[in-house]
Amino acid sequence: MNEMTPPKEERSEALKGLGCSRKRVEDARFTQGKGNYIDDIKLPGMLFGDFVRSPYPHAYVKSINPDKALEVPGVLAVITAKDLEPLNLHWMPTLAGDKQMVLADGKVLFQGQEVAFVVATDRYAAADGVELVEVEYEELPPLVDPFKAEIEGAPILREDIAEEKEGAHGPRRHPNHIFTWEAGDKDATESVLDGADVVAEEMVYYHRTHPCPLETCGSVASMDKVNGKLTLYGTFQAPHAVRTVASLISGIAEHNIRVISPDIGGGFGNKVGVYPGYVCSIVASIVTGKPVKWIEDRIENLTATAFARDYWMKGKISATKEGKITGLWCHTTADHGAFDACADPTKFPAGFMNICTGSYDIPTAYLAVDGIYTNKAPGGVAYRCSFRVTEAAYFIERMIEVLAIKLDMDAAEFRRINFIKKEQFPYQSALGWEYDSGDYHTAWDKALDAVNYKALREEQAERLEDFKAGKTRKLMGIGLTHFTEIVGAGPVKNCDILGLGMFDSCEIRIHPTGSAIARLGTISQGQGHATTFAQILASEIGISADDITLEEGDTDTAPYGLGTYGSRSTPVAGAATAMAGRKIRAKAQMIAAYLLEVHDGDVEWDIDRFVVKGAPERFKTMKEIAFAAYNQAIPGIEPGLEAVSYYDPPNMTYPFGAYICVMDIDVDTGTTEIRQFYALDDCGTRINPMIIEGQVHGGLTEALAIAMGQEIAYDEMGNVKTGSLMDFFIPTMWETPNYQTDHTTTPSPHHPIGAKGVGESPNVGGVPAFSNAVHDAFRAFGLTQSHMPHDHWRIWQTANKLGLHD
Amino acid sequence: MEIEDEIFINAPRDVVFKSLNDPEILKQCIPGCEELTKVSDTELTAKVVLKIGPVKAKFSGDVELNNEGAPDSFSLTGSGNGGVAGFAKGGADVELIEQDGGTLLKYVAKADIGGKLAQLGSRLVVSTSKKLSKSFFEEFDKAVTGGDSTPDEEEEKSGFWNKIVGD
Repeated sequence: MNEMTPPKEERSEALKGLGCSRKRVEDARFTQGKGNYIDDIKLPGMLFGDFVRSPYPHAYVKSINPDKALEVPGVLAVITAKDLEPLNLHWMPTLAGDKQMVLADGKVLFQGQEVAFVVATDRYAAADGVELVEVEYEELPPLVDPFKAEIEGAPILREDIAEEKEGAHGPRRHPNHIFTWEAGDKDATESVLDGADVVAEEMVYYHRTHPCPLETCGSVASMDKVNGKLTLYGTFQAPHAVRTVASLISGIAEHNIRVISPDIGGGFGNKVGVYPGYVCSIVASIVTGKPVKWIEDRIENLTATAFARDYWMKGKISATKEGKITGLWCHTTADHGAFDACADPTKFPAGFMNICTGSYDIPTAYLAVDGIYTNKAPGGVAYRCSFRVTEAAYFIERMIEVLAIKLDMDAAEFRRINFIKKEQFPYQSALGWEYDSGDYHTAWDKALDAVNYKALREEQAERLEDFKAGKTRKLMGIGLTHFTEIVGAGPVKNCDILGLGMFDSCEIRIHPTGSAIARLGTISQGQGHATTFAQILASEIGISADDITLEEGDTDTAPYGLGTYGSRSTPVAGAATAMAGRKIRAKAQMIAAYLLEVHDGDVEWDIDRFVVKGAPERFKTMKEIAFAAYNQAIPGIEPGLEAVSYYDPPNMTYPFGAYICVMDIDVDTGTTEIRQFYALDDCGTRINPMIIEGQVHGGLTEALAIAMGQEIAYDEMGNVKTGSLMDFFIPTMWETPNYQTDHTTTPSPHHPIGAKGVGESPNVGGVPAFSNAVHDAFRAFGLTQSHMPHDHWRIWQTANKLGLHD
Repeated sequence: MEIEDEIFINAPRDVVFKSLNDPEILKQCIPGCEELTKVSDTELTAKVVLKIGPVKAKFSGDVELNNEGAPDSFSLTGSGNGGVAGFAKGGADVELIEQDGGTLLKYVAKADIGGKLAQLGSRLVVSTSKKLSKSFFEEFDKAVTGGDSTPDEEEEKSGFWNKIVGD
């Protein structure tokens, strides 16, 4: 090193690469109101569409009369299924291999279903038109309870496929039955349960809820009839997949479709699916030759676009007297609503529910999932989780608690003796997964120490005594959770959506002056991709993150990728970014060697430059190399410095964490106070600790919402009871507790930089931690299971049933 | 949803009964009623403007009367459609008991609602319905007795809450 070269640490720091809590580059525009969201897209001559929606959950549509609506000044058209039928667009394929009505085709199957699309010159005229479309319905009995779907006399919902005995996922035994999906060994598991010392059995319900992103769904379609090119702006979590699907169902050649996802105000899975609004805005634009915008309102978002969860998980878990788990059995009744529109990889109709053995070494297990149609909105998306991992984590973390009660063991100790051990990784689970890496015991002990678990239990025991003595009306609960996620779908060999392999991509172009642009197949919805992916690249190619622009979401410029959901961006696109960076570096090495007049093998990488081995004063920085790449004729090397990588991960990644929630519960009012929440996350290599912490805070707050109050509830008539933010719980700073974050680092062995993904972990682990705290508070009074959400009313009822008000 | 209540009307039973079947009187008493047309002796059609919480809509509906139990009892069923606001259907069983020279009117009303009304107004539906039915019978009392019934103290108190939960 010569005197001119700053020390390694200084150069490394200047890159703002891996491990740097770099401020989010997106925030300058977001905090100044300069974001560019779907509703900010305004095109000349743009029209607006709005839906007539069904007030009935189940009814025949006898007639639709648009005459009065068409008299409203500004209303141009009222589109119904009859208009779409000649184009074969009155139905569309779902991500789960089913089909869904775009507009009611003779029948409506859930409240809020799209019946007609009114197109007008402004959104007010469209809304006025909607009120005047006269629809005549013949009401049918609704099916709300999935357990009544197959009883005699149950209403048949999907008359279009009532006779079909074979669905997209195998045999159907009833017109209201979608699929049965099995994993593991049924006979072996049942025989283990039969002969076990101790068996705990419980019905664990993870209620229906909704991602409810701040920004609702929407699209702007613009058909350029002269050039035959369709531009579709939309709130898409997977813009490339939307382009392919749009091409397949519309017949427009894929090169003539440009899909653009602008800034997205939160997705959480809600924006993965394909909705009738997208199709109708496209059709309306083709028909009118003008751009057409469709934006949902909040009620439409909550009642008609993709919901999450709604799994009834019947479980049995067995152990030896000493507390070693021997077997796990689960039968899930999955309420998928009126159309099976779950956003899951094709081969996994119930997502990765078979991760339900959790963090535990369970030798024998069996899982069966029955998908059922009901008169509820379709969806079943992974709300801030990887495909059904939240349900699986909640299930096992509840079953562990229930079994600990039965064994009369401390739930922390019970977990510890059943964890998969560090030396067992890569671990083959009984339900078919290969966990890549983990060190659960270290994380667990760190978490228990951090909260002083022993002292908490002592305090809880004292509180109980005081309660029994009439000195207090507050109980104390300690909610434990150790979760294991499965994210980063995924290996193309077993993960695809509609036949599209779930790889992802990155394309990098280095500019002559040594700055760069990187484009990815993913799309940020607030995760901070422009910040973190630039950091991955900075560490790989020695250019400061500040000098790297990141672009996503425009299918005309970005490389093909399957999008952002299921915590897959870092595991898959992050890997592609690192791999593309390595290609850049490989070419840079050749250029450096030429410039330094040595063999390729005689130079070595040093943070931001190549140096001649043994002669550190002789080097070429990446800036110099970039300039040379464009300005110097180098024999045998093409000009320019670009690379693209399509990355097909060899395995999923398995982030994990240990969460502990301490809660006080007032048995007379049912109110809760979260005194402490400790969250330890192990997401492998940490790219930006500040962003990780932000993700954990946000995810925990959504978990709090779900566990403690948020739900999409239906009454027995099929009405959505929680269709607005008046009834659908979104925590404010008033309800949100303080969070304590922590971490261990167990890198993924197969990921180029060892990262595993973190955005969804806090939701996966948070829900059982909150719920377990509620249950734990009542453990001494015999409570084994109660249903979420644990709002004040339900907690009061629990206390009441346990006789605590007597 | 079920509402059960009773009200004393200072008029003979046959007058009360007749009034319950008189479209003109009913129109005066049904809150928000814009139109009430007799189709036959037992069938009526109605247009009613109804506001529950944030939802306000014009409902058009049919009402069917059942006079079989006259003059001791009386029942009606009906359904209304408010377009995008949703729909409502239900009925009421009314019992008329002679008492102190007047009539004690006991009623049990049942209603199911759907659509946006049910989504948005769920927490308000019961209280609003109680208020509406109470208002109906108070107006009815006035119409039948030509009375000058003054609002009681309890209602004065509840005025504040009425404002909050939507009028």
